[in-house]
Amino acid sequence: MKPEEVLEAIAAVRGDAICVPTMTTSPAWRDITGDALSVSCVGFMGGASSLGLGLALARPERRVLVFDGDGSLLMQLGSLATIAGARPRNLVHLLFKNGVYHTSGAQETPGGLSVDFAAMARAAGYRGVHVVDDLAELKRLLPKLLVEEGPLFVELHTGLAGKTPMTAGMGMPFRQQVERLRGQLTSA
Amino acid sequence: MPESIPASLVIDTLKDTFQQARGGARREPLGWVLSVPDTHQRTVLAALDKERALRVLTCATEDEAAAIGAGLYIGGEPFVLMIQHAGLYASVNTLRGVGLDGQVPLFYMIGLLSREKDKDPRESRHSMVRYCEPLLDTFGIPHARLEGPDDVGRIPEYYRLAQQRKGPAAVLVGLETI
Repeated sequence: MKPEEVLEAIAAVRGDAICVPTMTTSPAWRDITGDALSVSCVGFMGGASSLGLGLALARPERRVLVFDGDGSLLMQLGSLATIAGARPRNLVHLLFKNGVYHTSGAQETPGGLSVDFAAMARAAGYRGVHVVDDLAELKRLLPKLLVEEGPLFVELHTGLAGKTPMTAGMGMPFRQQVERLRGQLTSA
Repeated sequence: MPESIPASLVIDTLKDTFQQARGGARREPLGWVLSVPDTHQRTVLAALDKERALRVLTCATEDEAAAIGAGLYIGGEPFVLMIQHAGLYASVNTLRGVGLDGQVPLFYMIGLLSREKDKDPRESRHSMVRYCEPLLDTFGIPHARLEGPDDVGRIPEYYRLAQQRKGPAAVLVGLETI
């Protein structure tokens, strides 16, 4: 699956879900949606899952979708246990697994594609865990991901994105994204 | 000479601080305590187990705690990061990215484990005690010491300061709470 195809499929059905892209999903998500209900994890690699957890706890009435990377998750692997322990019913943690640090030059991540993140999430205590390597299968699964009780984890086997933050830029500074989304959520 | 602060006083002060942050509204939880367990503040953490008005979330790392705090802030929820000085050192990049560049008002209560009662922390023989205030100074993060029960007013003061300046602020717990 191409990451862009995955993101387009998500964008088509996500409704008012808050989205948290990071690293190589950020430029594509920006191109596809450019909306004010997203905040990219920029400047603190590995923080997307925790940022999403905070949003999910603060706004239990909203679905929160995290678009994590395998290299990013490895930097804060303990967040799997923290999320499972907090048991946010509205959090969906989607892992875009490509086996490399794409942004910094596609160096292989520790363990590469052999690392079984789905097994780790299951063992940590996520309520539901899926592994998806086919776009049609993902499209069938997406409606369930938007309503089932979380935390849910989805390991997506994807290729490399066409753009990275290094080639496409970081987009709006994180501080501006924070205030934009905060304004959306706290004025509602 | 510094004195230990009762856990109940810290908890009541946090509850008042968060209720004020909500414009006086009472609700549960009033706010969140994001903790990577700190030996120095363990009596507070123990007492929080029985407290319904504050929700404690134990995090695996201080990096996580800061990023979770950013999410809570975006969603409009008050919170405090209750950590130890070693955790501050461990999470400097997230502190920079979230608190300084991201301008998220991270409010820290940092325990100074191994601080000697008869010494200024900057003169401690323990590097983890000695470097804490200089590190905060390096990043331009305002901080104050909690050296006894009379200092608990620093908690709402520095919480508000973090909100006003849109960035981190810290109070340093000098002795073990009781």
